[in-house]
Amino acid sequence: MIRIRVLFGLAALSTLLGLWLAFTAPPDALQGEYSRLINIHVPSLWLAFLAFGVTAFGSVMWLIRKRPRWDRLAAASVEVGVLFTGIGLVTGMIWGQAVWGTAWDWGDPRLASTAVMFFVYLGYMALRSAVEDPVAKARRSAILGVIAVVQVPLVYFSVNMFRTLHQTQSIRPDGSTMPDEMLIAMLVNVVAFTVLYVALMAARIDVAKAEEAAKGEEMLAGDAVKPPRISEVKDV
Amino acid sequence: MDFVASLDDVGVSLGGHPVLRGITLTVAPGDVVGISGANGSGKTTLIRTLATLQRPDKGVGSILGADIEANDLVDVRKRIGLIGHTPALVPELSLRENLTHIARLAGINEDRIGPALDVVGLDEVGSRRAEAASFGMKRRIEVAHLLLRKPQLLLLDEAVSGLDSSATELIDALVENTIDRGGAAVMVSHDRDYLNANCRRTMRLATGHLEVTT
Amino acid sequence: MSFWSQAWEIARVDLSVERRVGETMRVVLPFAVVSLIVFPVALGLQVSFVAQIGPAVFWALGVLFGMQVALRQSAADSPERRDLQALVGVDPAARFVGRTISGVVLTFAFLIALFIAMVVLYGPSLPSASVPALLLSSSLFAVGLTELGTLAGEVTTGLRNRNALASLIVAPLALPLVIGASQTLEALVRDESILPWVLLMTASGLALAVAGVALARPLEEAAR
Repeated sequence: MIRIRVLFGLAALSTLLGLWLAFTAPPDALQGEYSRLINIHVPSLWLAFLAFGVTAFGSVMWLIRKRPRWDRLAAASVEVGVLFTGIGLVTGMIWGQAVWGTAWDWGDPRLASTAVMFFVYLGYMALRSAVEDPVAKARRSAILGVIAVVQVPLVYFSVNMFRTLHQTQSIRPDGSTMPDEMLIAMLVNVVAFTVLYVALMAARIDVAKAEEAAKGEEMLAGDAVKPPRISEVKDV
Repeated sequence: MDFVASLDDVGVSLGGHPVLRGITLTVAPGDVVGISGANGSGKTTLIRTLATLQRPDKGVGSILGADIEANDLVDVRKRIGLIGHTPALVPELSLRENLTHIARLAGINEDRIGPALDVVGLDEVGSRRAEAASFGMKRRIEVAHLLLRKPQLLLLDEAVSGLDSSATELIDALVENTIDRGGAAVMVSHDRDYLNANCRRTMRLATGHLEVTT
Repeated sequence: MSFWSQAWEIARVDLSVERRVGETMRVVLPFAVVSLIVFPVALGLQVSFVAQIGPAVFWALGVLFGMQVALRQSAADSPERRDLQALVGVDPAARFVGRTISGVVLTFAFLIALFIAMVVLYGPSLPSASVPALLLSSSLFAVGLTELGTLAGEVTTGLRNRNALASLIVAPLALPLVIGASQTLEALVRDESILPWVLLMTASGLALAVAGVALARPLEEAAR
């Protein structure tokens, strides 16, 4: 519990620092104040990609080791990843409406592919909720987690395959196109979101452990069926 | 002695609920073990565990010399025969086509299919679609396939329920055939009279454990 | 029996069953053709615009109905049949490959029939190289979609909402195939190379094939 409080405390501090830098950095000359949304939009999606990558890792580890901890890790990471993807999509739509005059551009495959990534992992969560047996749940989820990760490279590289309105990646191997202050603010927010991700994961995994412990010693399935009271049948 | 099957304190859960708890059982070559139990007592789960189709959550066991928790049980499974609650046939194929399909997958010489159909009494109805065949006919096809495969461990789950006397005799002959080849059989049923008459020892499954009755 | 013999035998029986039941060509295909009619009627489109959107509508319906081919009931194994296949020594990877082979044949036939219906109903003007490009993109599309459908079907097998859940899983993951297939025709219209889109679909198909074979054993256990 203390560990989680410390993590959330760190997340709060780093988020406050990130917000302060975001609002004190100079705005983009063309996009104005709306450019500050980059400090939420980009970190959200990067962390979403990280979260789904962790899910894939947890899924592979479960398939190899069959330990519940890997399933808890994968499942928790999907939930946080879906949250971050949702935040990324909404902030992207607000930004798009302000800058391009449209919240959703059908000519932009990355928007569509980020949205479908969101639905892939909603499907993952739906699959988990449809299976009761914990081992079967873990196994089916692990398989889907491994398959689903093919979406992550597609989202990232689709910008390079299609001509779109969406700006190309701001940070490229040959250097960034952003002014230093904006870049620093964005990177600090990436760190803040990462700490928040870790805090949310820790809390979610603790909840999952508590749910499993609460199940306790169960009566045998067959013992719950009592012998019928044949002599009382006529009285029904 | 090399047991055909042995389970030691095996527990199995299904759907997150414990079904078997602390099952200890040994089956030697030549054994015919009958297991009875109330509805929901875990008889089918026990049979599927012996068939290596259900992994236990705890305990240890070996089936035909292989660890029950091993990753690769393909060779062991080929020596196990199972007749379950519901016949495992493709409804849209004829009875003969179903037997041919199983034989091909199992790598069995297709020349043996005709004689097997003849022995089980289905040579004249082999062209009937499985979905149009009676339950008894579907059971006979299952017996035919096991006569072709010649398993070392035969597992029967309510195999004679709903069968006429001639089909029941066919099941009995299959068990005898398996024992004569040095194998063993385990059958579960509600019918204690049948188990007492056809098994060398019987047990009762209750509260997740096995109790010897004869 | 060898791996490929098992795969071919499973594919053979799948196709035999489909020939008798006719789920793909007598149910799914007519339903898809009806949907081709519904689109322009619902949108109140003018004839010229209908011709423009034809190929796009074709691929959209191709993925939505094509996945129903992969998820068809006639290919769904009962728990007893799965147990039997495990006991006679069917390699789970051979099962996946066999299912994929039969699914690809059916999905490809479905797509070609649907494309012909689209051309008749929508009257698009297509470049002369469309036919070989269509055959190529349909093949790759069918392979990837069948692999996805087979995997999703296995992961959801035995669940009450199997079809809906499997469709939810397949639809978004099929996006690379939809992009690749639709952009292949678009590239021809723009007189550009179709190679990147062909490579995209090929990569998708290969990745799913590797995943299917590598995950075959856990999938077999998951389905029990």
